[in-house]
Amino acid sequence: MERRNFLRNTSLAMAALMIKPPIPMKEDTVLGQGNRRYKLDNHWSHADVAKYPVNDCHEMIQDSKGRILLLTNETHNNVLIYDKKGKILESWGHEYPGAHGLTLFDENGTEVLFICDNSRHQVIKTTIDGRVLMTLDYPKETGQYTKPEEYIPTETAITPTGDIYVADGYGKDFVIHYDASGRYLGYFGGRGPQEKHLLNAHGICLDFRDNKQPNLIVTSRQQNAFKRYTLEGEYINTIALSGAWVCRPVIKGDYLYSAVLQTNSRQGDHSGFVTILDKNYKVVSNLAGSVPNYVDGKLDEMYQTIKCFSYPHDVCIDDEENLYIAQWNSGKVYPYKLSPVI
Amino acid sequence: MKKLLLPLLTSLLFNNGFGQQLFQLAPPMLQYHSAFFKDSETASLKFAQPGTKIYFTLNGAEPTQKDAVYRKPIDVKKSLTTLKVKVFGNGFLPSETVQATFIKDGLKIKSIEQSPPNEKYPGNGATTLFDNEGGIANMHSKNFLGYQQDSVEINITLDKKQPIHSVLLDFLRDEGSWIFPPQKITIFYFDDAKNEFDIMNKKEIIADTNAKANACVFELIKAGAKVNSNRLKIIIQPLQSIPEWHPGKGKQAWLFIDEIKIY
Repeated sequence: MERRNFLRNTSLAMAALMIKPPIPMKEDTVLGQGNRRYKLDNHWSHADVAKYPVNDCHEMIQDSKGRILLLTNETHNNVLIYDKKGKILESWGHEYPGAHGLTLFDENGTEVLFICDNSRHQVIKTTIDGRVLMTLDYPKETGQYTKPEEYIPTETAITPTGDIYVADGYGKDFVIHYDASGRYLGYFGGRGPQEKHLLNAHGICLDFRDNKQPNLIVTSRQQNAFKRYTLEGEYINTIALSGAWVCRPVIKGDYLYSAVLQTNSRQGDHSGFVTILDKNYKVVSNLAGSVPNYVDGKLDEMYQTIKCFSYPHDVCIDDEENLYIAQWNSGKVYPYKLSPVI
Repeated sequence: MKKLLLPLLTSLLFNNGFGQQLFQLAPPMLQYHSAFFKDSETASLKFAQPGTKIYFTLNGAEPTQKDAVYRKPIDVKKSLTTLKVKVFGNGFLPSETVQATFIKDGLKIKSIEQSPPNEKYPGNGATTLFDNEGGIANMHSKNFLGYQQDSVEINITLDKKQPIHSVLLDFLRDEGSWIFPPQKITIFYFDDAKNEFDIMNKKEIIADTNAKANACVFELIKAGAKVNSNRLKIIIQPLQSIPEWHPGKGKQAWLFIDEIKIY
């Protein structure tokens, strides 16, 4: 038998978890490495839980007015709109029980939203204040689906001309391509043994950092990787992120940010962190995670080091380089804010 | 009165509303090939977080900052050595303790025949239970035989007739996957003089009364009297009724076993 190093599923002293000590206070918790270090504020949200409840906090974006929009699967208010200081400005939405993916698109000067709903098996385009503009049903045109339930879209990416890419991350892991009017154009990805295939295609984004050749980055979460494709869906390469269940890639400036839901070494144990990659897809900072280490170009397995996040699900970067972290299944916590440490 | 109230309210607000929490360090990464070894086993630890140190003990005690600091992989040679590990660092609460017990090979086993396991968890061939592989709490590892039935019979043949003092069995606890340690283990040895099996000892195990973390758990059962034999028969009764606190209460639990040692 091939000798391999297996990872011990840690046997923890559970007693430590049972006893809740009084929470001591301290100054600041600084997370991350190098020039991507941040101060954590886990009391950013001033939302009154009785008025503005949340369930899973899935994704966040910032609009051109500087407001921070949060998408939650709590139908009391699927979208909460905050100012950067954590004050609720408004809320809307009661009809998105499976609200999961939130993407902002500037359509000729007017901002619109694309919501992926896991439960409705649909992608819904709305105005910034929630008026429905278009609904995309399950993509039977692909020939890969026989009923809506097989399609569980998790994320969209929109090109400058309005083309829509939908990642079916909890369904069959295809990426479906539409034009701006919602006309079906094609698909790629799906499950399989080849490098071009995907497993849990949880997120998707467009990468314009190389002006000459924009491309798509798609998450293959259970494979702990991002995979790059051309806009035509041709596979380019894989960015391996050993140990990390990366959610969606989010690009701001030269950097790519992603919430890591959990790590392989401690699955089901609130083991998430946040990872940041540079322009060359090299991990440069892990917030609450292990210092990234490359040996002969290969990244060491990554893991959580500080238990400040449970299951982080998305990162939003605002115009001042602050980060907002939305979390899934984490005791209905509101988002945390992280401010850069210079 | 108002003068007194205002600072009090301010202080309450400050402490509860805006004070930042002190966070706990995550457990370190503990890696080793197998908890079972012939001569020695090496355990390595990782925790790449500046400003922290890993402390460990090998005597079963809870690690403190007065114990050894981890600097290089730890060699274990003595059977039933328990490694306990904990991370400490300024500005954070110490991690939970991670632990592993390392078990040395025993008397030479010629063969083991067991009840056929569930087809989904067939283990790793005929030597699964005595290949010195395992002790890693992962139900998908090929080291485990998985059962969901009333009783499991295991017949062991040793190299030769010899004194037997104890038997060690290693099980998986993964309650989230309905895998529990057994409720009863009975061990018989073959008595040549009587030409039949006689009882060596038995053990009843009380089910966990609340949820516990995934782990490998071993049972060491000593012979009740002097035993001299080359054959053992072990009857294991999986937990027949999952405890009240578990979503699967009242149902039959799974039994996962990965190794047997005879001493």
